[in-house]
Amino acid sequence: MFDTLYIEKQIAGHARTQDICARFPNATRVECDRYGEVFNPKSQNFRLQKRRPSLILAHKHHGRVLETPQGYGLGGNRNYYFSHMLNCLYDCRYCFLQGMYRSAHYVLFVNYEDFETDMEMLLAQADNEPCWFFSGYDCDSLALEPVSAFMQHFLPFFSKRPLAHIELRTKSTQIRSLLKMEPIPNVVIAFSFTPQEIYRALEHKVPTLERRLQAMLQLQQAGWQLGLRFDPLIYQQGYQAQYRRLFQQLFSQLDSEQLHSVSLGTFRLPRSYFRNIVQLYPDEPLFAGTYSVDNGMISYPQSLEQEMTAFCTRELLQHIPESVLFPCTLAA
Amino acid sequence: MINLVVALPAEARPLIAHYRLTDKTTMGAFRLYRRADMSLIISGPGKIAAAAATALLAGQNTSGEQAVWLNIGIAGHATHATGVSLLAHRITDHATGKSWYPPRLFDLETASASLITVDVAENSYHQDAAYDMEASGYYAVAGRFSTAELVQCFKVVSDNREQSTATVTAERCAQLLTETLHEIDQLLGALAALAQDCNSWHAAPAGLERLSSQWHFTVSQQHQLAELARRWKVLMPDRPLWLGELDSKKNAAGVLLCLQQHLDSLAPGLPQAAHVPRV
Repeated sequence: MFDTLYIEKQIAGHARTQDICARFPNATRVECDRYGEVFNPKSQNFRLQKRRPSLILAHKHHGRVLETPQGYGLGGNRNYYFSHMLNCLYDCRYCFLQGMYRSAHYVLFVNYEDFETDMEMLLAQADNEPCWFFSGYDCDSLALEPVSAFMQHFLPFFSKRPLAHIELRTKSTQIRSLLKMEPIPNVVIAFSFTPQEIYRALEHKVPTLERRLQAMLQLQQAGWQLGLRFDPLIYQQGYQAQYRRLFQQLFSQLDSEQLHSVSLGTFRLPRSYFRNIVQLYPDEPLFAGTYSVDNGMISYPQSLEQEMTAFCTRELLQHIPESVLFPCTLAA
Repeated sequence: MINLVVALPAEARPLIAHYRLTDKTTMGAFRLYRRADMSLIISGPGKIAAAAATALLAGQNTSGEQAVWLNIGIAGHATHATGVSLLAHRITDHATGKSWYPPRLFDLETASASLITVDVAENSYHQDAAYDMEASGYYAVAGRFSTAELVQCFKVVSDNREQSTATVTAERCAQLLTETLHEIDQLLGALAALAQDCNSWHAAPAGLERLSSQWHFTVSQQHQLAELARRWKVLMPDRPLWLGELDSKKNAAGVLLCLQQHLDSLAPGLPQAAHVPRV
């Protein structure tokens, strides 16, 4: 899976580092002072590196748990996000990570305990108000589980703190460790979907829709709280029929009354990320269309955004109550 | 384009012969050997000489395309036997402590190692790493002209704790390089394939030259035209960049507006499913 492991000197002796290294006995190990030496240099090509990314094991010093931008959330007042990992195993062409990072290597921060300390501090400040912690924005929460043991470590923390809610956003089917545990009511596993046609064109290396749906069914049967994320909504001529088909396929099999939440948001990217991505993928049809620029964000023209959101909302409400629908209203 | 940077004439000789680099020129203190798709420069020893030679060679490439860069030479190593070839996975400038990490995106049997660039010949081999005198100067400069994945360092161990630098003659040096030519071939093949992919993504559509020669575009307008040409190539890959209405346009601004309006009139976002390639 990995030919090269870059390891920060500081965490070379960390038990988690040792465990991960033991999984890749044939990988070349390269020591570095700080992960940024490998990950951040300007002259790198994300698209080329995506063909063979390496794993960087690092220590996260600051900014481990951050407030979410306004507009993100599932109804709570205190919303935070955190990333134990940077970059994703999958290769979705609409993903902002391609424009945000110069390198496609995966960075895994092994000091999980420090993340928990920070969460503990935020919970103490919350004065018995629930806190939401979102995982899966700078990486996929589940995809590297066999290597990272991320859920195996973090979920017991949440099981003991009912006011701490966590959303694990994913396109993965790595659910074995979840199925081995008792379901935790304050943990939501949120699966992202696009219609089959968009999946084929843009979601490279992602498990098929059917496999993800099977994973959801298994989790739902086991009693886990599940979410559905239709974000980004991608325009294509005939998108109405495509999304209608997708919703029918999902809701005909999932127990919609047991769903924790459903959210949606149209395709948008910060302008600087969009420029970087176009440089990497000048030949990608997704970036050859017409977009609007508003407040530093690239998105579909407003009328189209509204049309798509209204259509998908209408369709979704045929399957789910309004109380579990959360449109993403992210401000720039 | 493939650019080779070597320190010594003895290192260069087998490469010049193998790759038939028959076109020889002298530029300042440097000797340059070329063929259509490959150049080799002899820098002389030391990282400053290597940096200068690399910059000079980079200046010869006016195409704007991503080029392959390979520094080839001999190195010392504490434990490796002489004749062992290594690809650098970390290059550290001993004087400043700065390191670079060339990404390795290809399957080759060549082992990799850390490489430390020193200012004076190293005979103690303190660390488990290869030692040379050029790589950091070369890499720091070459990395400004090509993406890191295409910039690599290939070294052959010439001396170690058992065999000191005193045993390294010009003949020995040429022999060591000759014995690794097949590995260098493979490496250059893999790097050239990556560069070709990279450059093909950015190839301009047919018809762009005609537009550029028919109207005068300011620098800013050239950027706008390049972006419109990119979109055109994706949305209409089989049609050259041209519209009948352009004949009546008096200036570049009119041309840009016409192209923009045409492209915007097509579907926004992702085009029809039929047009989306399955990757």
